[in-house]
Amino acid sequence: MKYTRFEKARIIGARALQIAYGAPVLVDYPDDMLDSIDIAMLEYKQDAIPITVVRN
Amino acid sequence: MYMLTEAQRIVRIPPAELGEDIADVIDSLSCDTFEGKLEEDKSIAILVRNVRPVGPGRIVHGDGAVYQTVKFEQIVFVPRDNEVIEGIVVEVLGFGAFVRFGPLDGLLHISQIMDDRVDIDEVNQRLVGKETGRYLAVGDVVRARIVSVDLNEKNPQDSKIGLTMRQPGLGKLEWIDEDARKHSNADAEAGKEAPEEKEKKVHKDVKSKGSEA
Repeated sequence: MKYTRFEKARIIGARALQIAYGAPVLVDYPDDMLDSIDIAMLEYKQDAIPITVVRN
Repeated sequence: MYMLTEAQRIVRIPPAELGEDIADVIDSLSCDTFEGKLEEDKSIAILVRNVRPVGPGRIVHGDGAVYQTVKFEQIVFVPRDNEVIEGIVVEVLGFGAFVRFGPLDGLLHISQIMDDRVDIDEVNQRLVGKETGRYLAVGDVVRARIVSVDLNEKNPQDSKIGLTMRQPGLGKLEWIDEDARKHSNADAEAGKEAPEEKEKKVHKDVKSKGSEA
């Protein structure tokens, strides 16, 4: 599914927050990647984020 | 009164627990969140079971947690006015005794224990009837009636529930048996049988209600 830039920001933001609070990361990421936002963006690129958008 | 009901609520799943099997997480979180809580309808959930998620969870702004709607079955306890309960005396104090029934404690005021003047035996933690010699001590099983209910929403354990035992058919179970025997003897002497049977039946009904708990 193609997300708009707003949806993308919302998904990565929410996911980064989850990772920051200790949610398990679903992709392999380099050891030197410490920023949860970077990790969330990596997950987004690999289509690994288990979040869907409900449009209304 | 105990009831089995179905409820729908929202449970918050913290991000740290998203890794585990979601069904287990929802189950244990629902138990933790809803058991022992007082609802608006004055019921206290004792047990939550068969928790099922309804639809997808939601993520709100500013909180990484997932808010999941869940449906579940629950056993609730609702203290009703004039309900007859059976409980155990857990504490004896100068002004009366506390009786534990279900998840709550009720106060049995000293004036509501029996049709007798009641003395406080502080040394032995007993309340003794002056004329009858009947006493109430910690651990006794009593049957009482709820006369007032004032539930504390913040802390259900802190709720004020008033009880009475000044009524035929109420009191310590031993007293009830004693009275029933006395009555049946008196009835046998008078040659009446019908009232005795009636009383026994009532006795049984109340007992079965108690054992449900």
